[in-house]
Amino acid sequence: MSVSAPAVNPTQFATDRWIKVGSSTNPEAELAVQESLDPILERGQPKLAIIFCSPAFNLAEVSKRVKAAVGDGEVIGCSTAGELVRNLPMNGGLLIWALGGDGFAVTTGVGLGDPHAGLRDAAQEAARCLNQLERKEHTLLFLLADGLCGDQMEVVRGAYDVSGANVPLMGGCAGDDMALQSTQQIHSGELLTHAVVAAAITSNAPMAIGIAHGWEPLSEAMLVTRSGGTTLESLDDRPALDVYLDAYDAPAEVREHPEAFFDFAHTRPIGIARRNRIEIRYVYGADFEKRSLTIFAEVPQGAMAYLMQGSSTSVLNATSDVCAQAEEALGGQPAQGFMLLECVARKSLLSKEGLLQESLRLPAVREGVTVGGFYTYGEIARTEGSGGLHNQTVVALALA
Amino acid sequence: MSEAPWSLHLLSEVLAAFTVQSPNALRDVVSRVAEAVDAEITAIVRHGSFLLCVGLDEHDKPSLAAAAEERAPELVLGGVVLHLYWAPLEEGDAMVVGRFREQYSLEERALLRAMARSIQLSTQVLAAVKAEQEALRAEKEAKNLAIREATIDALTGLPNRRCLLAYLADRLAHPSGRSAQLGLLFVDLDRFKHINDVYGHGTGDAYLQAIGQALAQWRDQDTFVARLAGDEFVVVAGVDQPELLNELAERILKCLDQPWLIGGRTLHYSASIGLAVADPGDRPQDLLDKADLAMYSIKQAGPGRYACFEPSMQQQARRKAELEAEIRQALRLGEFTTFFQPIVSAVHSGVVGFEGLARWRHPHRGLVDPDGFIEVAEEAGLLRELDARILRDGCFSLAGWNSVQQGFSPRLSINLSAASLVDPALVGRVTKVLAESGFDGRNLLLEVTETSLVTDVERAHRNIVDLNRLGVRLAVDDFGTGYSSLRYLRQFPVGMLKIDRSFVSGLGHDHDDEVIVETIIRMAASLGIQVVAEGVETASQQTILRQLGCDYLQGYLLGRPGNCSTSEGVFERSELRLLQLGGDAF
Repeated sequence: MSVSAPAVNPTQFATDRWIKVGSSTNPEAELAVQESLDPILERGQPKLAIIFCSPAFNLAEVSKRVKAAVGDGEVIGCSTAGELVRNLPMNGGLLIWALGGDGFAVTTGVGLGDPHAGLRDAAQEAARCLNQLERKEHTLLFLLADGLCGDQMEVVRGAYDVSGANVPLMGGCAGDDMALQSTQQIHSGELLTHAVVAAAITSNAPMAIGIAHGWEPLSEAMLVTRSGGTTLESLDDRPALDVYLDAYDAPAEVREHPEAFFDFAHTRPIGIARRNRIEIRYVYGADFEKRSLTIFAEVPQGAMAYLMQGSSTSVLNATSDVCAQAEEALGGQPAQGFMLLECVARKSLLSKEGLLQESLRLPAVREGVTVGGFYTYGEIARTEGSGGLHNQTVVALALA
Repeated sequence: MSEAPWSLHLLSEVLAAFTVQSPNALRDVVSRVAEAVDAEITAIVRHGSFLLCVGLDEHDKPSLAAAAEERAPELVLGGVVLHLYWAPLEEGDAMVVGRFREQYSLEERALLRAMARSIQLSTQVLAAVKAEQEALRAEKEAKNLAIREATIDALTGLPNRRCLLAYLADRLAHPSGRSAQLGLLFVDLDRFKHINDVYGHGTGDAYLQAIGQALAQWRDQDTFVARLAGDEFVVVAGVDQPELLNELAERILKCLDQPWLIGGRTLHYSASIGLAVADPGDRPQDLLDKADLAMYSIKQAGPGRYACFEPSMQQQARRKAELEAEIRQALRLGEFTTFFQPIVSAVHSGVVGFEGLARWRHPHRGLVDPDGFIEVAEEAGLLRELDARILRDGCFSLAGWNSVQQGFSPRLSINLSAASLVDPALVGRVTKVLAESGFDGRNLLLEVTETSLVTDVERAHRNIVDLNRLGVRLAVDDFGTGYSSLRYLRQFPVGMLKIDRSFVSGLGHDHDDEVIVETIIRMAASLGIQVVAEGVETASQQTILRQLGCDYLQGYLLGRPGNCSTSEGVFERSELRLLQLGGDAF
């Protein structure tokens, strides 16, 4: 579904809030930082700068340089699996998304977890930055978490323990260009791993979130008969890997080689039935001996699950939908900028041309509207209820 | 595709979340309930307060608590209506879920009631399982504690002997994969007994703890530190080159040989280290014994040193053990006898008394003098028994001599070891011997060394004072070679000083010795203490000592030690001279 852009005159934008994005593909960290920061610093000293950086860079150097440049402004960020900018999806680049002006206020926090204990306590710790925030009319908690540190769902639960029902959650899980080895998080110029970093953003104008994925069930509903953490062991009492391979009629190569399986599973996620929707979970590996699947986030035992399918069209439509959803939720106020977080696996459904098309569908088609984001290992968007962890989904944050 | 009933699988999902593995099981389940029905808040209210609450900050909790009293169907939060549903638990408790936007449908309410009931039952099951786990955990902890107590030294927190032996057994059984050689350093603190005796056991314990901590700094993956017993510690280290063990021993000695502030006191003591490298086939005790031998060997050479084990040490130890056994047997068979060496007046050369000296009539080696057995007897703790034999023998011998009946009793000097001096039974033993032998206590001098006086000052003082009441006097032997502290000359009732033979031998050709001897004589005179010069072997020495004012002389020049009958003859001949000269006050 395509959504036409509302008729908004950029001159209506408030002057006490601004959003800017800068990016660079220059391989030199110093130059990349400079090129990315130039359009931002031209606008003013940001209240918050969020770094989305390819692991090809020396992230420690990047984070220190950015922190030094923005002075009192808060700095958070993470490594990515690709960066999203207007008209051109990047790989191996640097993108800095920033906001400023008196209409915004920001505090940041950080929490450290570990692969055994997970990230719930770390997310709680990071989310406590909300308590230091002098709140304006609209408040949101933005989270960036290690995408390879236990069940990603725990990040949402931990943050929600602190934020409560009145504060929406938005964010993503850091990537490492699909190496699936280690991701990094940035807080105040410091480089971390197994961490959750958060920015509590308060504004005198609305901020809204859109969520879309474009996937449809391929299979009948199945009961998750055994699972734990990020391992899905059985569906309808059959080994999950066998069910998965049979349902998708996987070729022999996929059944035998982990790398072939990995590529195959990119575009074949699992859906979990929720009350009135299906949440997507990204399958990123398999244990050929135990016949189990490895998922970025928990597929709860006892849940009802589907094997999902999608197409380049449905993926592209979701991109359009999500931005429209988010802007519509601003209550009629025009969006000054968007933050777009998209699952890295969705890239696999799109050709290079498709990726370009996607970037063109970003709200940046309207002049003066800023857009930027990154390809993630998991998306966070909680607007209602207490859940809000997504995979193979695109989520958008619109800021008036 | 058929539509599955959402409520049933959500229930199964929530129930499946219960696990005894996670300490946060209930929190996880409550989070899942909230996620299952898209609730913004979920809480379990127990006795009017929240057992668990998800989605509500501290600011808004009182509002929900107020709503709990009347089970209100809705609550306004931040200007928005929150629809509530209260699913009952037992005893008036409830699980409450709250959702903005929509009220809960009939199906959802039924689901929530079933969830609440399930949570309640599961919680009870969990509590029972938890109690069982708690009991198991307590049992495991008790077991761990018992293991810890059995393997850890309570005073220092270091592994104990048992743990050390187990560790050695493991290292010796699996020599590969680590360092090329396994060395053991047997660390023994020098004069630790002195700390306990002088400062008390509390200070001694604190000192051991400090030493334990100091040694613990060497612990790492390849170095093991343990306390064996008392003042003995062990460091086991794997090294690629044996020289590194020497370096380690030197570093440890340097570390321990420094002032330690213990309970407000500064203690400065050294340590001795015996070092052994494991040989193929060594058992833990073998390695320990070798290092112990090396330590023992170097300790005899003086404090603050280390030595590596050599096979000759084992032969030496064997010889010593055999000698000890022979001494024990000799004591049983009465092979020790007393020889008497005359002590003469420096003024007129008449015999005034004798020093009773131990000799061993060895069945094969003949007459053995003290150099051949005293050291081993002392280490074996046999000196008290030997002292008692010589004392008894001496008193009975001299009391029986004919001259006594004529009104002239020779004085008797008997050597008393440090062990005897602090023996609580000493005074009783002396009293008995005097009573049974009829020897006059006023004629008895007990010779002690300066060192033995300070071993246990309090107990020694008590014994000396009690002996003094019997008329027995104290003589300080080898004066000038030990502490030479004037303090104890005032502290103890010392009646006689015996100038060591090393000073006497220098008279006539070593000016320093002459000055020392003169100083001792003058000092003793000023304190009213008499002086005996030992080791007088030449007429020149005799003359000088006489000129310096020495009271009595003893040495080969004046008479060699002899057996009872020989000495009696010497005395009787001398006594006649004494009678002619008018007696002596020795």
